[in-house]
Amino acid sequence: METEDIKKAIYELVEKSMGKKLLKPGDVFKKVSADNGIDKKEVKNALKELIDEEKLVYSYKGGSYVEIPPK
Amino acid sequence: MGKKYDTPLLDDLESGVFPSFVTEMKRAAEQSEYANDLLGQLELSFKENLTHWKHGGIVGVRGYGGGVIGRYSDIPDQFPGIAHFHTVRVNQPSGWFYTADALREICDIWDKYGSRLTNMHGSTGDIILLGTKTENLEPIFAELSSRGWDLGGSGSAMRTPNCCVGQARCEWANIDTMAITNEITQHYQDEMHRPAFPYKFKFKIAGCAVDCIASIARADMSVIGTWKGDIQIDAAEVTNYAKGGMDIAEEIAGLCPTGCITWDGSSLTIDNSNCSRCMHCIAKMPKALRPGKEKGATILLGSKAPIVTGALLSWVIVPFIKMEPPYDEFFDLVDRVWEWWDDHGKNRERIGELIERLGFPAFIKATELDLHPQMIKEPRRDPFFFWSEEDIIK
Amino acid sequence: MSDLPERQTDIGPPHYEQFLPPVIKNNYGKWKYHEEIDAGHMVHVSETGDKVHTVRVASPRLISTDFIRDLCNIAEKYCDGHLRFTTRNNVEFMVDDESKVAPLVKGLKDSGFLVGGIGPGISNVVHTQGWVHCHSAATDASGLTKALMDEFHEYFTGAKTLPNRVRLAVACCVNMCGAVHCSDIALVGVHKTPPRIDHDNIKNFCEVPSTIGSCPTTAISPDPAKKSVKIKLEKCMYCGNCYSVCPSMPIADAKNDGVAVVVGGKVANLRKPPKFSKLAVPWLPNNAPRWPEVVQAVKTVLEAYEAGAKKHERVGEWVDRIGWEKFFEVTGFEFMIQHVDDFTFARETWRTAATFKW
Repeated sequence: METEDIKKAIYELVEKSMGKKLLKPGDVFKKVSADNGIDKKEVKNALKELIDEEKLVYSYKGGSYVEIPPK
Repeated sequence: MGKKYDTPLLDDLESGVFPSFVTEMKRAAEQSEYANDLLGQLELSFKENLTHWKHGGIVGVRGYGGGVIGRYSDIPDQFPGIAHFHTVRVNQPSGWFYTADALREICDIWDKYGSRLTNMHGSTGDIILLGTKTENLEPIFAELSSRGWDLGGSGSAMRTPNCCVGQARCEWANIDTMAITNEITQHYQDEMHRPAFPYKFKFKIAGCAVDCIASIARADMSVIGTWKGDIQIDAAEVTNYAKGGMDIAEEIAGLCPTGCITWDGSSLTIDNSNCSRCMHCIAKMPKALRPGKEKGATILLGSKAPIVTGALLSWVIVPFIKMEPPYDEFFDLVDRVWEWWDDHGKNRERIGELIERLGFPAFIKATELDLHPQMIKEPRRDPFFFWSEEDIIK
Repeated sequence: MSDLPERQTDIGPPHYEQFLPPVIKNNYGKWKYHEEIDAGHMVHVSETGDKVHTVRVASPRLISTDFIRDLCNIAEKYCDGHLRFTTRNNVEFMVDDESKVAPLVKGLKDSGFLVGGIGPGISNVVHTQGWVHCHSAATDASGLTKALMDEFHEYFTGAKTLPNRVRLAVACCVNMCGAVHCSDIALVGVHKTPPRIDHDNIKNFCEVPSTIGSCPTTAISPDPAKKSVKIKLEKCMYCGNCYSVCPSMPIADAKNDGVAVVVGGKVANLRKPPKFSKLAVPWLPNNAPRWPEVVQAVKTVLEAYEAGAKKHERVGEWVDRIGWEKFFEVTGFEFMIQHVDDFTFARETWRTAATFKW
C-alpha cells in the first residue's frame, strides 16, 4: 500500500469519528493496519507525515488524541 | 512596566526566612506583562480560594504532540496578559548540571518570548518555562532547538526520563544513571515527542536503593542500581567510627533489617548471603563500607500517584540486569513491555493498572520474563490459579 | 519570522558531559566516600585523592530568570561557571578545594541565599503548581511551601536537627504531580463536594465515553435525554479525574476545598521497605496566605516525631513501631470515619489481630 493511500485511510478514519469518538494514535494504528493488512509501523510513519504537514494535529484532553485541525 | 495590581495577601509571603516565590514573580513582573497579570490573578485566587486556569486543547509545535502544556486564564478579560499562558517543557541534561553560559542562553530566549518565570525543575525533571502565547511557541522552539535544546514529554507518551546524580558525584551509584538516562531519552525520541501510548510512561534511574530520585514511587519503570557479591569492609575505618562515638551494635547491627551484621565490640562481620542490600549500614558508615563489586540494576514496574484506582509502588520484574552499553537487553525488555501495554491497555490506563487488571502472571508470560521468587513478597494465599493446556494430564 | 534560526527535531537534550565541572569529570565513577560537614556543606573524596566540596542553597522553585542569572553570577565568581540543581529544587555549587568553601558560602549568604538542606533535618519541599498554574488545584502549593519553610527553616539551615531526614511535599490535588504519596509528611489539596455538570456545554467540550471511563468508582453514567452525563452522588469521592477529561464538570468549591495531611511515607529502601503516606488529618481549611491550621498540624507531627523517634527512624518507621492508635494519641489528632479505608486497598488496612495498645 502506498504511503499516500495509508494517509488517506487515516484521514478518513479520523474525519469519520470527529464529534463521535476521540481517537488516540494507537487506535488509528490498530484500525488502519487491521483494515488494510499492513504493519503498524507503516501507519505510524504515515501519521507522522500527516502531522508534519499539519493535515492532522495532536490534541490533549486528559490524554493525547489526533484530530483534524480547527479551521 | 512596574506594579499593576495591589497584592496584599501575596505581599505577606515576601516576609520570612525562606526564599519567596512572590519576590520572584515581582522581579519578573518588572519587565513582563505576563508576570504582572499572573500576580493579579494569583492574588485573586488567594482571596477567593479558587484556581482560575483552564487546560488542554490543541497547542504545540509542528510535528510534536508533547512538550507544550496548554493553559488559559478563565478570566482573560480581567487578566489579558495571561489569556494564553502555556508551559514549555525543555528536556534537562542528565543530572541537572549546567554552565552559567547555557542557563543564560535559555534565560535570554525566555525573556524575549515568555513570562521570565520558570521552574527549575518540574516534578518529572524538565526545565519548565512557565507561560507564553500560542504564537510564540514556534519561535521559542526554533531558538531552543537550533542551540541544541529539545522539548520534553507530555500527554500519552514517554515522559522525560530522569535520574539521580549517580556516578558523577556519588560513591554508592552501582550504575551510570546519567548515561543510561541520556541513552533512553535519545533512543526513544519518537515515543517522547509523538504520543502514541495508552497513557503516560515514566522512567526514573536511581543509582542505589536509597533512591534519591524516588524512582520506586514515581516511575512506570524504575531502574534501581544494585550489586552482587560481598559488601567491601575497611576494618580500620569501622574502628574509627566506633572511636568517634557511633554505637555500632545499636545503630548498625541493631537496625539491619535481616540481622546479618555482627559486631563483637572490635570487629564487624556481615553474612552477605542474607543481606538484602537496603543500604542502611553503607549510608551510615560511608568511609568503612562500600557496595559489592558485581554491578547491575533491579527493574521494577508500575508505580504511580492515586489517580485512578489508588497509588502504586513499583514491583520487581527483573531482579538483576547488567546495565552497560549498548543496553540491548534493557531496550528489548522495554519494547516487550510497551507492546503488551499497547495491545491491551485501555485509554488512560497506566502499565501498573493494566497488570493489576489482567494479572501479573499474564504479564510475565506475555513478556517472557524469567520467573524468580525475588519478584514477590509472598506467594498467593488463595487456591484460585490457572493452568495451561500443556499442564493437563491427558 | 524569517530571522528565526532553523528548527531541529528529535535531537534530545544536550549531552551532560559538556556541563560537568572538571573535578567531577575527572573523578566520574571513582568516588570513594563522602562526609557531611554541616547542613550546607558536604565533601566527596575520590580514589584519586581529589575532593569535591558541595555547598547547597534553597530555591523557591518558581523563580525568575533574574534569579537564575544571580545563580550564574555566583557560579562564575566561585565555581568556574558550573552549578547543578537537585531533586528537591535546591541548587548546588561545587569547588575542588576546601579553601574555596568559606568565600563561596560568604558570597552566597551576602547575596541573600539560604544555605542548608543536607543531613537529618528538613530539606526543600517537593511541590506542584497550585493556583499559580493548574486547572485542578484545590489549594496553592507555592504558598503552602513558603508558609511551611518559614516556620521550619531552622531544620533546613541545621540550627535544629531531627532523628532522620523528614521529607515534606505538597500536592495541590490528588493527581499528585510529585512523590507526595510516599513522603514523611505531605499535604494534599482535596475536594469535599462532587463536580457540577454543565449540561449545555458538555456536548461541545467533552467526549462522553472517556468522561464515564475516567471515574474510578463508576459514579458517572450517560444521560441520553440531555446528551450529557449524570452522577450517582453517593458513589463520588471527589477525585476530580472527570474534570481533567471533561472541562464541563468543574469540581472546585471555594468553601469546601481544603488540605489533607498524610504522613509516614518514604521511598528509600534503608532498613524498612518504601512505604505509602497515610491519612493523618482529612481536611483543614484553605486559609491563605499562610495556612496556620495546616502549618500547626505539620508542627504537631514533627514535635511528636522528635520526642518519640529513635535515632535514624523515619516518621513512618516511628509510627509503625508505636502503632497508629498511639500516633493519634500523641498527636491529639481526632480519629474520624474518613481514616477508615473503603477504597481499592481497604481490606489490607483493617486490623486482623486482637493485639493493639490502649
